[in-house]
Amino acid sequence: MPHKPPTQEELERRKIVGINLETVTNVTATDFPGNYPGEDHSWDIEKFRQGFNVEIHQNDPYEASFSLIGCDASIANAFRRIMIADVPTLAIDQVFIYNNKSVIQDEVLASRLGLIPFTGGREGLRDFLKWRPKDGEPKDYDTVGLELNVKCEHNPDAGPNETDPTKLYKHAHVYAKDIVFHPQGRQVEYFSGENAIRPVNPDILIAKLRPGQEIDVKMHMIKGVGSNHAKFSPVATASYRILPVIQITQPILGRDAEKFAKCFPAGVIGLEKVTKAEAKQKGSGYEGHEGEPKAVVVAPERDTVSRECLRHAEFKDKVKLGRKRDHFIFLVESTGQIESEAIFLESVQHLKAKAKNLEKQLVNMVR
Amino acid sequence: MSGTYQPPNTSSRDDIKEGNVIYYTCGDCAVRVPLEPSAPIRCQKCGARVLYKERTKRMVQFEAR
Amino acid sequence: MPSKSSKLREEDASSDVDMDEPTSHQPVIKDHDADMMEQDDEESQAGVDDYEEEEEPQRVKLLPGSTETAASFEFLDEGHTLGNALRYVIMKNPEVEFCAYAIPHPSEAKMNVRIQTFPGTTAIQALEKGLRDLQELCDVVTEKFTDASRAFAASA
Repeated sequence: MPHKPPTQEELERRKIVGINLETVTNVTATDFPGNYPGEDHSWDIEKFRQGFNVEIHQNDPYEASFSLIGCDASIANAFRRIMIADVPTLAIDQVFIYNNKSVIQDEVLASRLGLIPFTGGREGLRDFLKWRPKDGEPKDYDTVGLELNVKCEHNPDAGPNETDPTKLYKHAHVYAKDIVFHPQGRQVEYFSGENAIRPVNPDILIAKLRPGQEIDVKMHMIKGVGSNHAKFSPVATASYRILPVIQITQPILGRDAEKFAKCFPAGVIGLEKVTKAEAKQKGSGYEGHEGEPKAVVVAPERDTVSRECLRHAEFKDKVKLGRKRDHFIFLVESTGQIESEAIFLESVQHLKAKAKNLEKQLVNMVR
Repeated sequence: MSGTYQPPNTSSRDDIKEGNVIYYTCGDCAVRVPLEPSAPIRCQKCGARVLYKERTKRMVQFEAR
Repeated sequence: MPSKSSKLREEDASSDVDMDEPTSHQPVIKDHDADMMEQDDEESQAGVDDYEEEEEPQRVKLLPGSTETAASFEFLDEGHTLGNALRYVIMKNPEVEFCAYAIPHPSEAKMNVRIQTFPGTTAIQALEKGLRDLQELCDVVTEKFTDASRAFAASA
Protein backbone atom coordinates (compact mmCIF):
# COMPACT_ATOMS: atom_id res chain seq x y z
CA MET A 1 0.00 0.00 0.00
CA PRO A 2 1.53 3.31 -1.00
CA HIS A 3 2.01 5.73 1.88
CA LYS A 4 -0.08 8.86 1.97
CA PRO A 5 1.73 11.91 3.34
CA PRO A 6 0.01 13.31 6.41
CA THR A 7 -2.38 16.21 5.88
CA GLN A 8 -1.71 19.57 7.52
CA GLU A 9 -4.65 18.85 9.79
CA GLU A 10 -3.12 15.57 10.89
CA LEU A 11 0.23 17.26 11.59
CA GLU A 12 -1.50 19.90 13.72
CA ARG A 13 -3.45 17.23 15.59
CA ARG A 14 -0.22 15.45 16.51
CA LYS A 15 1.02 18.60 18.22
CA ILE A 16 -1.96 18.92 20.57
CA VAL A 17 -1.80 17.44 24.04
CA GLY A 18 -5.36 16.49 24.96
CA ILE A 19 -6.65 17.72 28.30
CA ASN A 20 -9.73 15.96 29.63
CA LEU A 21 -11.63 16.27 32.88
CA GLU A 22 -9.39 13.81 34.73
CA THR A 23 -6.82 12.65 32.20
CA VAL A 24 -4.31 13.84 29.63
CA THR A 25 -3.64 12.22 26.27
CA ASN A 26 -1.03 12.32 23.51
CA VAL A 27 1.59 13.65 25.90
CA THR A 28 4.91 12.74 24.25
CA ALA A 29 6.38 14.09 21.05
CA THR A 30 6.30 11.60 18.19
CA ASP A 31 8.35 13.45 15.56
CA PHE A 32 11.15 10.89 15.42
CA PRO A 33 12.32 8.73 12.49
CA GLY A 34 10.54 5.39 12.37
CA ASN A 35 7.47 6.51 14.28
CA TYR A 36 5.31 6.96 11.17
CA PRO A 37 6.04 4.57 8.31
CA GLY A 38 7.03 6.37 5.12
CA GLU A 39 7.53 9.72 6.84
CA ASP A 40 10.87 11.41 7.25
CA HIS A 41 11.42 12.93 10.66
CA SER A 42 15.22 12.95 10.60
CA TRP A 43 17.06 16.05 11.79
CA ASP A 44 17.32 18.64 9.04
CA ILE A 45 18.48 22.12 9.89
CA GLU A 46 16.63 23.66 6.94
CA LYS A 47 13.39 21.98 7.96
CA PHE A 48 13.95 23.21 11.50
CA ARG A 49 14.60 26.74 10.25
CA GLN A 50 11.31 26.70 8.33
CA GLY A 51 9.27 25.29 11.18
CA PHE A 52 10.84 27.38 13.94
CA ASN A 53 9.56 30.81 14.81
CA VAL A 54 10.02 33.39 17.54
CA GLU A 55 7.32 35.87 18.58
CA ILE A 56 8.15 38.63 21.01
CA HIS A 57 5.33 39.83 23.24
CA GLN A 58 7.19 42.11 25.60
CA ASN A 59 10.82 43.20 25.66
CA ASP A 60 11.62 45.35 28.67
CA PRO A 61 15.06 45.39 30.30
CA TYR A 62 13.84 43.60 33.39
CA GLU A 63 10.97 41.60 31.94
CA ALA A 64 10.66 39.89 28.59
CA SER A 65 8.03 37.55 27.23
CA PHE A 66 8.35 35.67 23.97
CA SER A 67 7.22 32.46 22.28
CA LEU A 68 9.46 29.80 20.83
CA ILE A 69 7.30 27.98 18.30
CA GLY A 70 8.28 24.75 16.62
CA CYS A 71 10.90 23.31 18.91
CA ASP A 72 10.96 20.35 21.26
CA ALA A 73 10.43 20.64 25.00
CA SER A 74 13.95 19.33 25.63
CA ILE A 75 15.42 22.33 23.80
CA ALA A 76 13.14 24.92 25.42
CA ASN A 77 13.82 23.39 28.80
CA ALA A 78 17.58 23.48 28.24
CA PHE A 79 17.39 27.24 27.61
CA ARG A 80 15.26 27.75 30.70
CA ARG A 81 17.61 25.73 32.89
CA ILE A 82 20.68 27.53 31.54
CA MET A 83 19.12 30.96 32.17
CA ILE A 84 18.52 30.05 35.81
CA ALA A 85 21.67 28.12 36.65
CA ASP A 86 24.45 28.64 34.10
CA VAL A 87 24.52 32.26 32.94
CA PRO A 88 27.22 33.94 35.07
CA THR A 89 26.76 37.14 37.04
CA LEU A 90 28.78 39.19 39.51
CA ALA A 91 27.80 39.06 43.20
CA ILE A 92 29.32 39.69 46.61
CA ASP A 93 31.05 36.54 47.78
CA GLN A 94 33.44 37.48 50.58
CA VAL A 95 32.62 39.91 53.36
CA PHE A 96 35.37 41.27 55.59
CA ILE A 97 33.77 42.70 58.69
CA TYR A 98 35.93 45.26 60.45
CA ASN A 99 33.15 46.43 62.71
CA ASN A 100 29.48 45.63 63.07
CA LYS A 101 27.69 47.11 66.03
CA SER A 102 24.23 46.69 64.51
CA VAL A 103 21.71 44.18 65.79
CA ILE A 104 22.16 42.16 62.60
CA GLN A 105 24.58 39.30 63.27
CA ASP A 106 27.74 39.21 61.17
CA GLU A 107 26.79 36.09 59.21
CA VAL A 108 23.26 37.35 58.56
CA LEU A 109 24.66 40.69 57.38
CA ALA A 110 27.05 38.87 55.06
CA SER A 111 24.25 36.75 53.66
CA ARG A 112 22.06 39.83 53.08
CA LEU A 113 24.87 41.64 51.29
CA GLY A 114 25.42 38.63 49.03
CA LEU A 115 21.83 38.67 47.84
CA ILE A 116 21.83 42.31 46.67
CA PRO A 117 21.78 42.45 42.86
CA PHE A 118 24.41 44.72 41.31
CA THR A 119 24.94 45.92 37.80
CA GLY A 120 27.62 47.70 35.81
CA GLY A 121 29.11 48.06 32.35
CA ARG A 122 28.05 45.05 30.28
CA GLU A 123 31.35 44.78 28.42
CA GLY A 124 33.33 44.80 31.64
CA LEU A 125 31.09 42.24 33.29
CA ARG A 126 31.00 39.90 30.32
CA ASP A 127 34.45 40.16 28.78
CA PHE A 128 36.90 41.84 31.17
CA LEU A 129 35.96 39.95 34.32
CA LYS A 130 37.13 36.35 34.42
CA TRP A 131 36.45 33.46 36.77
CA ARG A 132 38.33 33.72 40.01
CA PRO A 133 40.54 30.62 40.39
CA LYS A 134 39.85 28.57 43.52
CA ASP A 135 43.17 29.32 45.22
CA GLY A 136 44.08 32.56 43.48
CA GLU A 137 44.81 35.93 44.97
CA PRO A 138 42.29 38.61 44.07
CA LYS A 139 43.20 40.36 40.82
CA ASP A 140 41.66 43.39 39.14
CA TYR A 141 40.24 41.15 36.39
CA ASP A 142 38.52 38.68 38.70
CA THR A 143 37.53 40.55 41.86
CA VAL A 144 35.55 43.72 42.44
CA GLY A 145 36.02 45.54 45.73
CA LEU A 146 33.20 47.28 47.57
CA GLU A 147 32.99 49.06 50.89
CA LEU A 148 30.19 49.87 53.27
CA ASN A 149 31.02 52.26 56.07
CA VAL A 150 28.15 53.89 57.96
CA LYS A 151 27.83 55.27 61.44
CA CYS A 152 24.57 56.27 63.08
CA GLU A 153 24.48 59.53 65.04
CA HIS A 154 21.95 61.82 66.63
CA ASN A 155 20.63 64.50 64.32
CA PRO A 156 21.02 67.85 66.10
CA ASP A 157 18.52 69.49 63.72
CA ALA A 158 15.67 67.14 64.65
CA GLY A 159 12.63 68.74 66.26
CA PRO A 160 11.93 68.12 69.98
CA ASN A 161 8.78 66.10 69.25
CA GLU A 162 10.22 64.11 66.38
CA THR A 163 9.51 60.37 66.58
CA ASP A 164 10.64 59.21 63.15
CA PRO A 165 14.01 57.47 63.61
CA THR A 166 15.14 58.42 60.11
CA LYS A 167 14.78 62.11 61.05
CA LEU A 168 15.86 61.74 64.65
CA TYR A 169 19.16 60.09 63.68
CA LYS A 170 21.56 60.26 60.80
CA HIS A 171 22.01 56.94 58.97
CA ALA A 172 19.30 55.17 60.93
CA HIS A 173 18.68 53.07 57.82
CA VAL A 174 21.49 51.49 55.84
CA TYR A 175 20.60 51.11 52.16
CA ALA A 176 22.21 49.39 49.21
CA LYS A 177 23.09 52.84 47.83
CA ASP A 178 25.48 53.35 50.79
CA ILE A 179 27.78 50.68 49.34
CA VAL A 180 30.79 52.31 47.65
CA PHE A 181 32.61 50.77 44.70
CA HIS A 182 36.40 51.09 44.58
CA PRO A 183 37.73 50.32 41.11
CA GLN A 184 41.11 48.57 41.07
CA GLY A 185 43.67 48.62 38.27
CA ARG A 186 42.05 48.38 34.85
CA GLN A 187 38.53 48.32 36.31
CA VAL A 188 38.57 52.12 35.89
CA GLU A 189 38.46 51.65 32.11
CA TYR A 190 35.40 49.40 32.21
CA PHE A 191 33.47 50.56 35.25
CA SER A 192 33.44 54.37 35.23
CA GLY A 193 30.58 56.85 35.03
CA GLU A 194 27.34 55.17 34.01
CA ASN A 195 29.17 51.83 33.82
CA ALA A 196 30.13 51.88 37.50
CA ILE A 197 29.33 48.84 39.60
CA ARG A 198 26.21 49.82 41.54
CA PRO A 199 23.17 48.21 43.15
CA VAL A 200 20.26 47.74 40.73
CA ASN A 201 17.81 48.82 43.42
CA PRO A 202 19.44 51.56 45.53
CA ASP A 203 16.71 51.45 48.18
CA ILE A 204 17.20 47.89 49.42
CA LEU A 205 17.31 48.09 53.23
CA ILE A 206 20.37 46.30 54.61
CA ALA A 207 20.16 47.14 58.32
CA LYS A 208 18.72 49.61 60.81
CA LEU A 209 21.02 51.42 63.22
CA ARG A 210 20.70 53.51 66.37
CA PRO A 211 23.12 56.24 67.55
CA GLY A 212 26.52 54.78 68.45
CA GLN A 213 26.10 51.79 66.16
CA GLU A 214 28.14 51.41 63.03
CA ILE A 215 28.85 49.02 60.20
CA ASP A 216 32.27 48.90 58.56
CA VAL A 217 32.76 46.16 55.99
CA LYS A 218 34.69 45.49 52.82
CA MET A 219 33.38 43.11 50.22
CA HIS A 220 34.77 41.13 47.32
CA MET A 221 32.53 40.36 44.36
CA ILE A 222 33.28 37.49 42.03
CA LYS A 223 31.70 35.96 38.96
CA GLY A 224 29.61 32.89 39.67
CA VAL A 225 26.70 30.80 38.42
CA GLY A 226 23.24 30.08 39.79
CA SER A 227 23.98 26.37 40.21
CA ASN A 228 26.58 27.37 42.81
CA HIS A 229 24.37 29.84 44.69
CA ALA A 230 21.04 31.48 43.82
CA LYS A 231 22.55 34.95 44.35
CA PHE A 232 24.46 34.43 41.09
CA SER A 233 21.30 33.69 39.08
CA PRO A 234 20.64 36.48 36.55
CA VAL A 235 16.90 35.88 36.68
CA ALA A 236 14.24 36.17 39.34
CA THR A 237 12.21 33.70 37.32
CA ALA A 238 12.69 32.20 33.90
CA SER A 239 9.77 29.98 33.02
CA TYR A 240 7.64 28.85 30.13
CA ARG A 241 4.00 27.84 29.69
CA ILE A 242 2.77 25.69 26.86
CA LEU A 243 0.16 27.47 24.71
CA PRO A 244 -3.36 26.42 25.72
CA VAL A 245 -5.76 25.38 22.94
CA ILE A 246 -9.52 25.75 23.28
CA GLN A 247 -11.64 24.21 20.54
CA ILE A 248 -15.37 24.88 20.51
CA THR A 249 -16.74 21.92 18.55
CA GLN A 250 -20.46 22.74 18.77
CA PRO A 251 -22.11 26.15 19.12
CA ILE A 252 -22.45 27.52 22.66
CA LEU A 253 -25.23 30.11 22.60
CA GLY A 254 -27.23 32.58 24.70
CA ARG A 255 -27.04 32.26 28.49
CA ASP A 256 -24.75 29.24 28.07
CA ALA A 257 -22.25 31.35 26.18
CA GLU A 258 -22.11 33.88 29.02
CA LYS A 259 -21.65 31.08 31.55
CA PHE A 260 -18.97 29.53 29.33
CA ALA A 261 -17.02 32.78 29.21
CA LYS A 262 -17.10 32.92 33.01
CA CYS A 263 -15.37 29.52 33.18
CA PHE A 264 -12.21 31.18 31.85
CA PRO A 265 -10.03 34.13 32.92
CA ALA A 266 -11.20 37.49 31.59
CA GLY A 267 -10.57 38.02 27.87
CA VAL A 268 -10.08 34.36 26.89
CA ILE A 269 -13.61 33.86 25.57
CA GLY A 270 -15.50 36.58 23.68
CA LEU A 271 -19.17 36.86 22.78
CA GLU A 272 -20.25 37.53 19.20
CA LYS A 273 -23.72 37.77 17.62
CA VAL A 274 -24.76 34.89 15.38
CA THR A 275 -24.88 36.31 11.85
CA LYS A 276 -27.67 35.91 9.30
CA ALA A 277 -25.47 33.74 7.09
CA GLU A 278 -24.62 31.39 9.95
CA ALA A 279 -28.27 31.07 10.95
CA LYS A 280 -29.22 30.13 7.40
CA GLN A 281 -26.65 27.33 7.19
CA LYS A 282 -28.29 23.94 7.64
CA GLY A 283 -26.71 21.61 10.21
CA SER A 284 -24.49 24.32 11.65
CA GLY A 285 -26.38 24.40 14.94
CA TYR A 286 -27.03 28.10 14.50
CA GLU A 287 -30.41 27.74 12.75
CA GLY A 288 -33.01 30.03 14.26
CA HIS A 289 -30.53 31.67 16.58
CA GLU A 290 -29.76 34.79 14.57
CA GLY A 291 -28.69 37.70 16.77
CA GLU A 292 -28.05 35.54 19.84
CA PRO A 293 -24.60 35.71 21.46
CA LYS A 294 -22.22 32.83 20.75
CA ALA A 295 -18.97 31.99 22.51
CA VAL A 296 -15.75 32.43 20.52
CA VAL A 297 -12.14 31.85 21.53
CA VAL A 298 -10.32 35.20 21.58
CA ALA A 299 -7.09 34.81 23.53
CA PRO A 300 -6.29 31.18 24.43
CA GLU A 301 -2.79 32.19 25.61
CA ARG A 302 -4.38 33.94 28.59
CA ASP A 303 -6.06 30.78 29.80
CA THR A 304 -4.79 29.04 32.91
CA VAL A 305 -6.26 25.67 31.83
CA SER A 306 -8.33 25.34 34.98
CA ARG A 307 -10.65 22.83 33.24
CA GLU A 308 -13.63 24.54 34.89
CA CYS A 309 -15.67 24.36 31.64
CA LEU A 310 -15.35 20.55 31.65
CA ARG A 311 -17.20 20.33 34.97
CA HIS A 312 -20.52 21.59 33.53
CA ALA A 313 -22.92 19.18 31.82
CA GLU A 314 -24.20 21.81 29.35
CA PHE A 315 -20.76 22.08 27.70
CA LYS A 316 -20.33 18.32 27.40
CA ASP A 317 -18.95 17.37 23.96
CA LYS A 318 -19.03 21.05 22.92
CA VAL A 319 -15.47 21.96 23.88
CA LYS A 320 -12.05 20.35 23.66
CA LEU A 321 -9.13 21.59 25.75
CA GLY A 322 -5.52 21.01 24.89
CA ARG A 323 -2.06 22.46 24.75
CA LYS A 324 0.17 22.98 21.73
CA ARG A 325 3.20 20.87 22.51
CA ASP A 326 5.75 22.88 20.52
CA HIS A 327 4.67 26.40 21.51
CA PHE A 328 6.50 27.72 24.57
CA ILE A 329 5.57 31.08 26.06
CA PHE A 330 8.65 32.20 27.99
CA LEU A 331 8.69 34.77 30.74
CA VAL A 332 12.15 36.01 31.72
CA GLU A 333 12.40 38.36 34.68
CA SER A 334 15.88 39.77 35.11
CA THR A 335 17.31 40.71 38.50
CA GLY A 336 18.90 43.69 36.74
CA GLN A 337 22.53 42.85 36.01
CA ILE A 338 21.83 41.61 32.48
CA GLU A 339 18.87 42.62 30.33
CA SER A 340 16.28 39.88 29.91
CA GLU A 341 16.78 39.55 26.17
CA ALA A 342 20.55 39.27 26.60
CA ILE A 343 20.06 36.55 29.23
CA PHE A 344 18.14 34.41 26.74
CA LEU A 345 20.65 34.99 23.95
CA GLU A 346 23.44 34.13 26.34
CA SER A 347 21.68 30.90 27.28
CA VAL A 348 21.57 29.91 23.61
CA GLN A 349 25.26 30.70 23.25
CA HIS A 350 25.95 28.71 26.39
CA LEU A 351 24.24 25.60 25.04
CA LYS A 352 26.17 25.93 21.82
CA ALA A 353 29.46 26.35 23.67
CA LYS A 354 28.63 23.30 25.80
CA ALA A 355 28.05 21.17 22.71
CA LYS A 356 31.15 22.52 21.00
CA ASN A 357 33.30 21.83 24.03
CA LEU A 358 32.01 18.27 24.34
CA GLU A 359 32.57 17.66 20.65
CA LYS A 360 36.22 18.54 21.26
CA GLN A 361 36.27 16.29 24.29
CA LEU A 362 34.83 13.43 22.26
CA VAL A 363 37.49 13.79 19.59
CA ASN A 364 40.03 13.82 22.41
CA MET A 365 38.54 10.63 23.86
CA VAL A 366 38.74 8.72 20.58
CA ARG A 367 42.34 9.80 20.00
CA MET B 1 56.31 21.83 97.08
CA SER B 2 54.72 18.75 95.59
CA GLY B 3 51.15 18.24 96.64
CA THR B 4 50.42 21.88 97.20
CA TYR B 5 48.22 23.63 94.72
CA GLN B 6 50.00 25.93 92.33
CA PRO B 7 47.83 28.56 90.71
CA PRO B 8 48.34 28.55 86.95
CA ASN B 9 50.74 31.23 85.91
CA THR B 10 48.66 33.63 83.86
CA SER B 11 50.86 36.68 84.13
CA SER B 12 53.09 35.54 81.29
CA ARG B 13 50.20 35.44 78.82
CA ASP B 14 50.28 38.24 76.28
CA ASP B 15 46.76 39.46 76.62
CA ILE B 16 46.57 39.72 80.41
CA LYS B 17 49.78 41.44 81.40
CA GLU B 18 50.11 43.38 84.63
CA GLY B 19 48.74 46.84 84.11
CA ASN B 20 46.96 45.78 80.93
CA VAL B 21 43.40 46.93 81.21
CA ILE B 22 40.55 45.47 79.21
CA TYR B 23 37.42 47.42 78.58
CA TYR B 24 33.98 46.03 79.27
CA THR B 25 30.55 47.54 78.86
CA CYS B 26 28.31 47.78 81.88
CA GLY B 27 25.08 45.86 81.45
CA ASP B 28 23.18 48.37 83.53
CA CYS B 29 24.45 51.85 82.65
CA ALA B 30 26.30 51.07 79.38
CA VAL B 31 29.42 52.90 80.53
CA ARG B 32 32.85 51.61 79.40
CA VAL B 33 34.53 49.98 82.40
CA PRO B 34 38.32 49.44 82.38
CA LEU B 35 39.24 46.36 84.38
CA GLU B 36 42.64 45.01 85.45
CA PRO B 37 43.11 41.26 85.61
CA SER B 38 42.69 41.04 89.38
CA ALA B 39 40.04 43.73 89.79
CA PRO B 40 36.56 42.75 91.03
CA ILE B 41 34.09 42.36 88.23
CA ARG B 42 31.98 45.37 88.96
CA CYS B 43 31.01 48.60 87.23
CA GLN B 44 32.91 51.46 88.81
CA LYS B 45 30.04 53.86 88.23
CA CYS B 46 26.87 52.03 89.21
CA GLY B 47 28.19 48.88 90.85
CA ALA B 48 26.42 46.44 88.54
CA ARG B 49 28.06 43.05 88.32
CA VAL B 50 26.99 42.21 84.77
CA LEU B 51 29.65 43.35 82.31
CA TYR B 52 29.81 42.63 78.60
CA LYS B 53 32.95 42.00 76.64
CA GLU B 54 33.53 44.34 73.74
CA ARG B 55 33.55 43.18 70.17
CA THR B 56 36.88 42.00 68.78
CA LYS B 57 38.89 44.62 66.93
CA ARG B 58 40.02 41.97 64.51
CA MET B 59 38.58 41.71 61.05
CA VAL B 60 36.21 38.77 60.71
CA GLN B 61 35.76 37.15 57.34
CA PHE B 62 32.53 35.60 56.10
CA GLU B 63 31.29 34.00 52.94
CA ALA B 64 28.18 35.78 51.71
CA ARG B 65 26.17 32.53 51.45
CA MET C 1 45.15 52.51 42.32
CA PRO C 2 45.51 51.70 46.02
CA SER C 3 42.74 53.50 47.79
CA LYS C 4 43.92 55.74 50.59
CA SER C 5 41.15 54.91 52.99
CA SER C 6 41.96 51.23 53.02
CA LYS C 7 45.67 51.81 53.52
CA LEU C 8 44.87 53.99 56.47
CA ARG C 9 42.54 51.39 57.84
CA GLU C 10 45.22 48.76 57.69
CA GLU C 11 47.50 50.86 59.90
CA ASP C 12 44.67 51.55 62.31
CA ALA C 13 43.90 47.92 62.67
CA SER C 14 47.48 46.84 63.20
CA SER C 15 48.06 49.45 65.88
CA ASP C 16 45.11 48.10 67.83
CA VAL C 17 45.67 44.38 67.83
CA ASP C 18 48.15 42.15 66.08
CA MET C 19 46.62 41.18 62.77
CA ASP C 20 48.43 37.95 62.17
CA GLU C 21 45.56 36.07 60.60
CA PRO C 22 41.97 37.06 59.99
CA THR C 23 39.63 35.22 62.28
CA SER C 24 37.06 33.36 60.30
CA HIS C 25 33.92 31.58 61.30
CA GLN C 26 33.64 29.76 58.05
CA PRO C 27 36.04 27.69 56.03
CA VAL C 28 38.08 29.97 53.81
CA ILE C 29 39.63 28.72 50.61
CA LYS C 30 42.82 30.60 51.22
CA ASP C 31 43.86 33.18 53.74
CA HIS C 32 43.77 36.60 52.24
CA ASP C 33 42.31 39.84 53.37
CA ALA C 34 40.72 42.66 51.53
CA ASP C 35 43.90 44.69 51.29
CA MET C 36 45.69 42.15 49.15
CA MET C 37 43.87 43.54 46.17
CA GLU C 38 45.69 46.82 46.53
CA GLN C 39 48.63 46.23 44.29
CA ASP C 40 50.60 47.99 41.62
CA ASP C 41 48.79 48.70 38.40
CA GLU C 42 51.61 47.24 36.36
CA GLU C 43 51.53 44.02 38.25
CA SER C 44 47.82 43.53 37.77
CA GLN C 45 48.00 44.47 34.11
CA ALA C 46 50.67 41.89 33.54
CA GLY C 47 48.36 39.48 35.31
CA VAL C 48 45.44 39.94 32.96
CA ASP C 49 47.59 38.87 30.04
CA ASP C 50 48.80 35.87 31.99
CA TYR C 51 45.24 34.72 32.52
CA GLU C 52 44.57 31.48 30.71
CA GLU C 53 41.64 29.16 30.73
CA GLU C 54 42.68 26.10 32.67
CA GLU C 55 43.36 22.97 30.67
CA GLU C 56 40.12 21.07 31.02
CA PRO C 57 40.16 17.50 32.29
CA GLN C 58 38.65 14.78 30.09
CA ARG C 59 34.92 14.84 30.80
CA VAL C 60 33.62 12.24 28.34
CA LYS C 61 34.30 8.56 28.91
CA LEU C 62 33.29 5.40 27.06
CA LEU C 63 31.84 2.98 29.59
CA PRO C 64 33.00 -0.66 29.63
CA GLY C 65 30.93 -3.17 27.66
CA SER C 66 30.52 -0.84 24.72
CA THR C 67 30.71 -2.03 21.14
CA GLU C 68 30.96 -0.08 17.87
CA THR C 69 27.23 0.26 17.41
CA ALA C 70 26.04 0.11 20.99
CA ALA C 71 27.84 2.31 23.49
CA SER C 72 27.31 4.07 26.80
CA PHE C 73 29.05 7.36 27.46
CA GLU C 74 29.67 8.99 30.80
CA PHE C 75 29.71 12.79 30.94
CA LEU C 76 31.17 14.48 34.01
CA ASP C 77 29.61 17.74 35.26
CA GLU C 78 26.64 17.55 32.93
CA GLY C 79 22.97 17.13 33.81
CA HIS C 80 19.47 17.23 32.43
CA THR C 81 20.19 20.51 30.62
CA LEU C 82 22.46 18.92 28.05
CA GLY C 83 21.32 15.31 28.57
CA ASN C 84 17.74 15.76 27.41
CA ALA C 85 18.56 18.16 24.57
CA LEU C 86 21.28 15.83 23.30
CA ARG C 87 18.99 12.82 23.60
CA TYR C 88 16.43 14.63 21.44
CA VAL C 89 18.78 15.48 18.56
CA ILE C 90 20.39 12.04 18.61
CA MET C 91 16.95 10.41 18.45
CA LYS C 92 16.25 12.55 15.37
CA ASN C 93 19.07 10.67 13.59
CA PRO C 94 17.50 7.89 11.44
CA GLU C 95 20.65 5.78 11.81
CA VAL C 96 20.06 5.59 15.55
CA GLU C 97 17.99 2.69 16.82
CA PHE C 98 17.92 3.77 20.45
CA CYS C 99 19.09 6.71 22.52
CA ALA C 100 18.48 7.54 26.16
CA TYR C 101 20.14 9.48 28.93
CA ALA C 102 20.22 8.95 32.66
CA ILE C 103 21.56 10.54 35.79
CA PRO C 104 22.37 7.40 37.79
CA HIS C 105 22.63 9.18 41.12
CA PRO C 106 21.53 12.74 41.92
CA SER C 107 24.47 13.45 44.20
CA GLU C 108 27.06 12.48 41.61
CA ALA C 109 27.64 15.05 38.86
CA LYS C 110 27.52 12.40 36.15
CA MET C 111 25.26 11.93 33.17
CA ASN C 112 25.14 8.77 31.06
CA VAL C 113 24.04 8.54 27.44
CA ARG C 114 23.25 5.22 25.81
CA ILE C 115 23.33 5.08 22.01
CA GLN C 116 22.55 2.07 19.83
CA THR C 117 22.82 2.50 16.08
CA PHE C 118 21.99 0.49 12.98
CA PRO C 119 25.02 -1.19 11.32
CA GLY C 120 25.87 1.65 8.90
CA THR C 121 27.31 3.98 11.54
CA THR C 122 28.87 3.92 15.00
CA ALA C 123 27.65 5.19 18.33
CA ILE C 124 30.56 7.63 18.55
CA GLN C 125 29.69 9.08 15.14
CA ALA C 126 26.05 9.42 16.18
CA LEU C 127 27.07 11.30 19.33
CA GLU C 128 29.36 13.57 17.36
CA LYS C 129 26.61 14.33 14.87
CA GLY C 130 24.22 15.01 17.74
CA LEU C 131 26.60 17.57 19.26
CA ARG C 132 27.07 19.25 15.88
CA ASP C 133 23.33 19.35 15.18
CA LEU C 134 22.79 20.96 18.57
CA GLN C 135 25.24 23.72 17.68
CA GLU C 136 23.47 24.33 14.37
CA LEU C 137 20.16 24.47 16.19
CA CYS C 138 21.50 27.11 18.56
CA ASP C 139 22.63 29.25 15.63
CA VAL C 140 19.14 29.14 14.11
CA VAL C 141 17.53 30.05 17.45
CA THR C 142 19.89 33.02 17.89
CA GLU C 143 19.26 34.16 14.31
CA LYS C 144 15.47 33.90 14.57
CA PHE C 145 15.41 35.54 17.99
CA THR C 146 17.52 38.54 16.95
CA ASP C 147 15.36 38.98 13.83
CA ALA C 148 12.18 38.88 15.90
CA SER C 149 13.67 41.25 18.45
CA ARG C 150 14.65 43.73 15.75
CA ALA C 151 11.21 43.54 14.17
CA PHE C 152 9.60 44.03 17.58
CA ALA C 153 11.74 47.10 18.29
CA ALA C 154 10.87 48.53 14.88
CA SER C 155 7.12 47.96 15.35
CA ALA C 156 7.02 49.50 18.82
